Amino acid sequence: MKFFSFLILLPFLSFSCHGSDDVKQPVDPKPIEEVKYDETGVLFKSYKGLVMAGYQGWFTAEGDGAGRGWHHYQKGGKFEPGSTSIDFWPDVTDYPKTYKTSFKYKNGEAAPIYSPYDEESVDLHFKWMKEHGIDGVYMQRFVSEVKGESGKKHFNKVLANALKASKKYGRAISVMYDLSGSTSADMDFIAKDWEELQSTFKLFDNKENPQYLRHNGRPLLAIWGVGFNDGRKYTISDIQKLVEKVKGPTKKASIMLGVPYYWRSLGKDTENSTLLHTVVKSADVVMPWAVGRYNASTYTGVAGPNLPADIAWCKANNVDYAPLVFPGFSWGNLKNDKSLYNEIPRGKGDFLWQQIAGAKLSGAEALYVAMFDEVDEGTAIFKCKREGELPENADGKFVGIEADLKTDHYLWLTGQGAKWFHGEAGFSAKKPERPN
Amino acid sequence: MLLFAAGCKIDNYPAPDAQLYGTFLDAETNEPVEQDIIRGSTIEYIEHGYTSQTKQVMIVKNDGTYRNNLIFANQYTITPVRGNFVPTEPQEVTVAGETKLDFKVQPYIRLKDAKIEKSGSKVIATFKIQQTVINNVRKIGLYAHPEPSVGEPMRTVLSEMEINGAADPNKVYQLEIDIPSNSNNLKTGNQYFFRVGAVIDAPESKFNYAKAVRLAL
Repeated sequence: MKFFSFLILLPFLSFSCHGSDDVKQPVDPKPIEEVKYDETGVLFKSYKGLVMAGYQGWFTAEGDGAGRGWHHYQKGGKFEPGSTSIDFWPDVTDYPKTYKTSFKYKNGEAAPIYSPYDEESVDLHFKWMKEHGIDGVYMQRFVSEVKGESGKKHFNKVLANALKASKKYGRAISVMYDLSGSTSADMDFIAKDWEELQSTFKLFDNKENPQYLRHNGRPLLAIWGVGFNDGRKYTISDIQKLVEKVKGPTKKASIMLGVPYYWRSLGKDTENSTLLHTVVKSADVVMPWAVGRYNASTYTGVAGPNLPADIAWCKANNVDYAPLVFPGFSWGNLKNDKSLYNEIPRGKGDFLWQQIAGAKLSGAEALYVAMFDEVDEGTAIFKCKREGELPENADGKFVGIEADLKTDHYLWLTGQGAKWFHGEAGFSAKKPERPN
Repeated sequence: MLLFAAGCKIDNYPAPDAQLYGTFLDAETNEPVEQDIIRGSTIEYIEHGYTSQTKQVMIVKNDGTYRNNLIFANQYTITPVRGNFVPTEPQEVTVAGETKLDFKVQPYIRLKDAKIEKSGSKVIATFKIQQTVINNVRKIGLYAHPEPSVGEPMRTVLSEMEINGAADPNKVYQLEIDIPSNSNNLKTGNQYFFRVGAVIDAPESKFNYAKAVRLAL
């Protein structure tokens, strides 16, 4: 017996031979210590109080060096009048670098476009965020795209551009994996890719990236697309394992999960499985996807009871909550259906402000704005062309920002929302008026 | 004969001998949340151990309390539904003997500083409205009935006002009932119960109330 206990104590003996001979008591194996990060100089220690947008960054232009053609502008391999997937046309007046396209304005002038592959374009976006007081962005990382070599090259370049610009302008930045199109087998890839990003870009280095978003004392990673009942080829259980892996025994990262709108009641767009609640409880922040779930006239009926009920659930389960707001929705060109132009109208910002106020008045502490630059689905808040000054699009059209607004109106209005979430006084359900 | 004997066996379960009771409480003020007996908030409960998952229903008294004195001791999933409060989560509850289960809820509307008084030939109600959600307040009402369970679904006389907007939390709302013009239902010398309520514009929402007041006319 003694011999055996000696054997058991052997590993401890080897550690404790520095002067201590107190090895008679068997010691429990040390609990794994949670990682502690140096937060010196870190700019954003919590998502709470912040208004951040999603950043697609998936567009490319022919000749930008990405080698991906007119990615996400084109349709059916062509980017020309009658063949495009975008509804809103970016206003590229301020961009130092643009690309000529075969689209033309009424006066015959060519309509240029930008590429986020270019550092100067992404720099400009972060400059706008700073000008309007928008706190930062979640950089979308599409698993189905970065699995390929050219996709990985593109999204790494855009991320590099964004890290540089966010540092320069003091804007928060975080990575968000979009799992649309993924399979169960991709979970290992994601975990590996995430490890690689951390080392390639020194994401967790408080000196290299003081602007990388932290939450609950750890860098925040967002994973979007868990619990949707739209026939995905991965399961909630896959995400559970992924979250465990990303956090690891040392709890390396905090996690935000992007879930369907009816995640709490497990109905409508949500898989009817209580495992979703288990996974949400293991995360740090939950962000329900609200795009297309309501419009201006149905908003209060849908979100009115849902927001406070979501928030109460999150408080009871010690998870933070970030509701999503979006300016409007339009995907006529993407879906080849003219009835879908301006499907959810913006109402000069009435709709966006309704949601910002609704979230704030219901007790939300942070906002996710969908999206900064999404022109395929017409949810972009960045500068876009106005009605009356849009390029022509064969027998289709483009949708513009309301003609009497400035092209940066939705940046400005989002910035007003950010001020409110930062605690500034003077805001209410009444949409703020922009001084001329 | 055989069939008869078998039939007896099936019915040989113990009778329901447990009780489940409690109160809907305002999570913020800890005060009971006033309800309606008819068409009011309900409590759905599913008894565990059966594949059918049949939902049974309990109703709630006006003062926000409920009680079921004939329930089987067992595990239940219990959810308050279609109420005058922000939707809540199902709870897993073990019912055994006398079991108390209060529901902490966020009422859609709080009626504050409510006063109902007889003034000359009128009954006048004044109150403030505090809404806890962004939805519009649909309407407010003053209701009268000979029974204490007075409310919007149970009244003989009413006075309502459409709001269809956000309520001003500082405004004192006033509603009146003229006694002589309702003399069929409000007889001088008799006692009646009066209650003020307000309803939010949300799916399946029910009225929120202040406490009922007894007045002798």
